[in-house]
Amino acid sequence: MIEVLGVHKSFGSLEVLRGVSLDVAAGEVVVVLGPSGSGKSTLLRTINHLEKVDRGYITIDGDLIGYQRRGGKLHELKEREILKQRKDIGFVFQNFNLFPHLTALENVAEVAQLADARHFLERVGLEDKADAYPRQLSGGQQQRVAIARALATRPKVVLFDEPTSALDPELVGEVLDVLRDLARSGTTMVVVTHEIGFAREVADRIVFIDEGLIVEEGAPEQVLDHPVHERTRAFLSKVL
Amino acid sequence: MTSGTLTRASTKDDDLSSLPVVPARHPWRWVGVAFVLVLAAQFVHGLVTNPAWDWPTFARYFTAQSILTAVGTTIFLTVFGTVLGFALGIVVAVLRMSKSPFLSAVGWTYIWAFRSIPLIVQLLFWFNISYLYQRLSLGIPFGPEFVSFETISLISPMGAAVLGLALHQAAYAAEIVRSGVISVDRGQLEAAAALGIPRFRQLRRIVLPQAMRSILPNAANEVISLFKGTSVVSVMAIGELFYQVQVIYGRNARVVALLMVATVWYIILTTLLSIGQHYVERYFARGDRR
Repeated sequence: MIEVLGVHKSFGSLEVLRGVSLDVAAGEVVVVLGPSGSGKSTLLRTINHLEKVDRGYITIDGDLIGYQRRGGKLHELKEREILKQRKDIGFVFQNFNLFPHLTALENVAEVAQLADARHFLERVGLEDKADAYPRQLSGGQQQRVAIARALATRPKVVLFDEPTSALDPELVGEVLDVLRDLARSGTTMVVVTHEIGFAREVADRIVFIDEGLIVEEGAPEQVLDHPVHERTRAFLSKVL
Repeated sequence: MTSGTLTRASTKDDDLSSLPVVPARHPWRWVGVAFVLVLAAQFVHGLVTNPAWDWPTFARYFTAQSILTAVGTTIFLTVFGTVLGFALGIVVAVLRMSKSPFLSAVGWTYIWAFRSIPLIVQLLFWFNISYLYQRLSLGIPFGPEFVSFETISLISPMGAAVLGLALHQAAYAAEIVRSGVISVDRGQLEAAAALGIPRFRQLRRIVLPQAMRSILPNAANEVISLFKGTSVVSVMAIGELFYQVQVIYGRNARVVALLMVATVWYIILTTLLSIGQHYVERYFARGDRR
């Protein structure tokens, strides 16, 4: 479903991704772990071309994202084409990024028919908050609206960039519940998170990234309980 | 603070929880109020009793036909200056924020040029444009002409005034629009981009409504200052409010009374604009109320 191959990305002289390759199968839930600054958010943002890559490529269902192959070169697509491609890729931000001047329903309806928008709000359990503005909602509710909005374009995959990191501890659960539901219903997901318990329970595969490289990947029991690499062990000993 | 025994709830006999709470008093505020009230009373007293204000003349001219017509002209100039100025200003702001260095330079140059030239100088240029260019024509640059016009018949004094005000206003409007757009959180654009919302729709539905919150107070300032700034076009002998009162006091020498006529009209219309500003701002603040 998602294929990431040899992706390099630098910000100035700082090389954030140093050749990352990753395959995600349809219906698979991949959790990306790693210390802060390891490049995991950047990796996620290259998948929907919010960040351009310096080298390597990404495909979804076989379609190159952000580029077009012509002759022996990859040409960057026009912005209009990229925007079209992003309809296939849902993205949930750490800070929700709801549109503050629109109600919950209007936020979702910005990219869907009204009836569909209601349906997606129902799916995250917020149909009764349809007419509330983001500021009137708790952080957890805002993130659930943001998830409904990301689902509203009926994407093939949904990317979550630390979806619970900006939440008060008691609000984390309700967002993880929504993620759990999505995972069970067969949504293809890539989740960057620090919630190890959630990763163990929901992930089909855990990918550990450090210093711009995938250090280790495998089933949750394997990576979390029997990490092979020293750096994975060091990271887990800090967060577990 | 200073005495722990007073600020700390007592642990023993007296239960503070039943005592009434007295808010802090501010006696100096009342002194200030009294001072300002006395000044205001003196000012009003002077307005009423000093014959030099010449209120009968004021009353005779305040709603005179010539003054009402001039007020209409002032409103006309303000409306057209604002609408055309902000329409062009949005275009210039978009140019200035363009990722293309060329378009960005074009926007920057426009703003630079029209902020550098005093409005009154620019207006006089437009007024005298027919001395500079007698004919204007449409055609292929440096090639044949298809149609051509006498400049003097194409650009009337009124047209020159509207043109000058709008071009001047556009430079300021562009910067106000730009300041509003850059005040919108980057995450909003990222979210819109991630959702695949087309570029123009991002601007119209997501960015501008949020930018309006910081654009409006500045824009209202500009409209009000343009409204009074229209008095500058009196140099072109256009019969707006200020020109008209000058004409009248040139005849009857009642300078103060006629300046008051203009002043009171300016105050009334500015008040109306301020009230309008309040409601428009309230509309764009939706979502900000809990």
